[in-house]
Amino acid sequence: MKTAEDRNLHQRLAARLTAGVMTGAIVLSVGVASAEPIQITLWHQEQVQARVDQFQKVIDAFNASQAEYQVVQQVQSWGNIYQKLPPAIQAGVQPDIDFTIPDFTVTIRETGAVQPVDDIVAEIEKKHKFIDQALTPYRDEGKIWAVPVYGMVQVLWYRKDLFKAAGLDPESPPKTWEEFLNAARTLTKNGKFGVGVPVSKSLATDQVLYSLMSVNGGTELFDASGAVTFDTPKNVETVNFYKQLSELSPSGAASWTWPEPQDALNAGTVAMAIEKGQYLTPFEETSGQAADQLGCAPIPVNAGGEEHSIYYSNAAMVLTSDPDKRKGAAAFLSFILEPANYAEFLLAEPGLFLPLTVDGASEAWTGSPILSKYKGCVDLMIGMSKKGVLPGFNTGTVQKAIGPIMAQNLLSQVVQKVVVGGEDPQAAVTWGQEQMSAAAGQ
Amino acid sequence: MASSLVKPTIRAILIVILLLMIGAPFVWMVLSSLQPNSALIQPGNFFSPALVTFGNYVKLPSATQYVLLARNSLLVALISTAIAIPLALLAAYSVFRTRYRGRTFIYNLLLVVYIFPGVLLLAPLFGLFAVTGLLNSWASLVIMNVTFAVPFSVWLMRGFFTSIPNGIEEAAAIDGATDMQILWKVIVPLTAPGIVVTATYTFVLSWTEFMFASVFIIDDRLKTLPVGLEALVSQYSIDWGLLSAAAVMAALPVVIIFTFAGRYFVESITSGAGK
Amino acid sequence: MTTIPATATERDAVQSHPPARLPEPPVRATLGRLFIAPLMIWLALTIVLPLAYCIWISLTSANTMGGTPKFVGLSNYATIFGDGTFGPAFLRTLAWAIGGAVLQTVFAAGAALLLHQRFAGQHVARTWIMASWVVPTIVTTFLWRWMLNADYGVVNQLLLGAGLLDRPIDFLGSPTYAFATVVWINAWRWFPFLTLLILAALTRIAPEYYEAAKVEGATSWQLFTKVTLPFIQPVLYVVGLLGTLWSVNVFDIIWLTTKGGPIDTTTTLPISIYIRAFQQFKLGEASAMSVSLALFLLLFAVVYIRFAPKGATEQEVD
Repeated sequence: MKTAEDRNLHQRLAARLTAGVMTGAIVLSVGVASAEPIQITLWHQEQVQARVDQFQKVIDAFNASQAEYQVVQQVQSWGNIYQKLPPAIQAGVQPDIDFTIPDFTVTIRETGAVQPVDDIVAEIEKKHKFIDQALTPYRDEGKIWAVPVYGMVQVLWYRKDLFKAAGLDPESPPKTWEEFLNAARTLTKNGKFGVGVPVSKSLATDQVLYSLMSVNGGTELFDASGAVTFDTPKNVETVNFYKQLSELSPSGAASWTWPEPQDALNAGTVAMAIEKGQYLTPFEETSGQAADQLGCAPIPVNAGGEEHSIYYSNAAMVLTSDPDKRKGAAAFLSFILEPANYAEFLLAEPGLFLPLTVDGASEAWTGSPILSKYKGCVDLMIGMSKKGVLPGFNTGTVQKAIGPIMAQNLLSQVVQKVVVGGEDPQAAVTWGQEQMSAAAGQ
Repeated sequence: MASSLVKPTIRAILIVILLLMIGAPFVWMVLSSLQPNSALIQPGNFFSPALVTFGNYVKLPSATQYVLLARNSLLVALISTAIAIPLALLAAYSVFRTRYRGRTFIYNLLLVVYIFPGVLLLAPLFGLFAVTGLLNSWASLVIMNVTFAVPFSVWLMRGFFTSIPNGIEEAAAIDGATDMQILWKVIVPLTAPGIVVTATYTFVLSWTEFMFASVFIIDDRLKTLPVGLEALVSQYSIDWGLLSAAAVMAALPVVIIFTFAGRYFVESITSGAGK
Repeated sequence: MTTIPATATERDAVQSHPPARLPEPPVRATLGRLFIAPLMIWLALTIVLPLAYCIWISLTSANTMGGTPKFVGLSNYATIFGDGTFGPAFLRTLAWAIGGAVLQTVFAAGAALLLHQRFAGQHVARTWIMASWVVPTIVTTFLWRWMLNADYGVVNQLLLGAGLLDRPIDFLGSPTYAFATVVWINAWRWFPFLTLLILAALTRIAPEYYEAAKVEGATSWQLFTKVTLPFIQPVLYVVGLLGTLWSVNVFDIIWLTTKGGPIDTTTTLPISIYIRAFQQFKLGEASAMSVSLALFLLLFAVVYIRFAPKGATEQEVD
């Protein structure tokens, strides 16, 4: 860690010396100080062109609002960011800001390049308070490691028309696991399926499994001492429940990730799915149904469990140690979180990107063309955000092992073993426990 | 009596099967690109002529910077090709038309360039390119394309070089030609089909390359087509119709090139490669 | 076939030299060294240097995310061979390489023999068969994921419609089918190119060889084994070597279709290496796996070059 830092320092020192000499030369020769704005490089992994365009609008607004800094976005991919960012950091060519999720932050912190941002967060919080779920995942070692920018939460989505057709009350979605399973059974007939759950080795499956774990007393993967506590009777029960749901899912579920359950729900082949807010935007066009036919509800809770859901606080890591650039990054991030700009920013993906400041759900955002049609669901997601949890990130202390645990999709591998491989849930959970312990070096 | 008819018939059937095996997926890709996504994800729906639409193609420019990406890919592929040709030509000449200690070893060495999994070369190469300032530039992609294209190209050139009669250089030398003149005026024309083969091979390899392009390029304006296509498959949604249209457009440039130059490539390669 | 007419020049044209036995050209040693130098320098920088770095890293405790690597000797090698992941992945890689080689050779040889015949549209067919080779891999994988999709893919719809299935098959998601499916996709991408190389060899068989053999009363099978095969053997020889190296190191097709799943059934060594380096972040161990794989392939290449069916070609045609 030291070496990388030192090397970076040396490179930067060298770069700054060179820059200094050159600036000096320019100043001497031209006689005027250059008023070039400082360039702030922003990386993010939201490749969809519509999101890139929307981000650009906000960036343009920021660049126009002041003359000191110039933000430039460079779009990367979740598919290879693990291969790209670490060598970029080692070579000293990393961006100044990178949008991140909690487990990725933990991993990248090992490079030594991630800067604590307590001061920036404190400054922003003077105006806009963050919800706890936004900041907690980025707290560790008494510091805050990234500035939250938007949230994502899962709920239960369902087709009201299919509920009606199956003789279920569309206005009373399942609240318990028992009701959930019964509804799914009732809805599974005539080539239609009650529910669509992914069973692939992917983050999509990880997320749905964890959401179900969270409503069955399984929010924590580690105990206070940092030991892995995945192998519990509750989690075995959850994995078994997942298996039962998967039997009421279409055949292709073993290669499903995010798009397929949504497509199936829109096509009317499945009636329920547990997912995030990306379901709103395409619903009307793809399903051919009116907006009010898309139902949403908290994830059904098992007996003795509490209402929860997986919650992703997406945040901005600051990767520059240059004080000027850092100031620019701070200025840009607090610009984003200003309600007027924030609405524009969040609309990069209406419904998926949720505000995580207390005053973030502004009229400009909720009243936007798409979201205004789904008022109830938007409110539900905002409410669920405050009950959000994330494996390994609920206590303000982070276990490093969560990085490789999530990167390897160990949760979904457990599901695959049971559903696709026909393994006993207990055996699969025990295997999961062993793998996680190995990742934790235990 | 019947056998004289049976054989050609069987052969014709097999040829049709072969062409279908290759062609059918592409036909399906084109058909899918002409349907709205909402129709494609309706189970039981194949292809409805009533729903034919060019909507996916209309959407494409706003979903991806197709022209920019295609131009970048084309330039990277052309530059790679332009550099690979002289390198391969010189190397092939050295290996096949001269004799020195270690020549056979070098020839074998070229073939084992491919022993190492490319994935792991990413990290050290990234560092190397960063140090040399080549990171986030087409140069890094060109360098890797050439690296993986040339050794095999040398082998592809083999037949063309070994079929040149011995002594032709000596004859030219007696006429007063220098080594470079001999290479340029004698060898190049005689191995022209081999050069075509190398060029095509390098071009295709560069045009299809994804891994290095996705890691070494940071700036959106420099990205290549395969990387741009990957961005269309976002985490949260797959628009099969739009993707099909994009796939058609990604295949189109090479298909056009192949329509005109393909035959020449095939004829060139069958005239000497691997001899 | 001792009776095949073989004049000196014809034999010359026929004789094929596996890599270890190059023809003997005039000397021109200085020129030769001079001309090979650019490529050697090039490859030294792009292959040898990173390779050396990898070997060094494999002897350290390097983490993908940085930190100061400590020299740990061979302990990474002990770990990867001791923790039971290398073995299964290695066997899968072997099955992948052999399965791919068999499938591709059969398809390519078959296709080449077909396209070697004269028929109307021969040139068009020869050109168009290259289509699957010239499109980006990302298009290939998309295409097959789309066609093999269990829920609305055309292949399942056709099979269901024809009554061959009563439940769709999740080709890429089922542990039973995924491996074979990915082998097929990879073969679909690569066999046309191989076809062309074999075709190249076929075109150089003078018709007289066949005629002479026919006069002798050779059956079609004998024609194939005694005339055709000896001619395409040298191509198969080099392609057998390169193809194996390429195919063992295939990463993108597998990663973009199955990510090594379901339950590891398509996790070949490159996938396993990738997971170790970029999901477990153990760069040292991943490098040790790479180096081990490379050493194995090197050994394979050396043995292959040395013990190639020596002179099989020459003996057959002499």
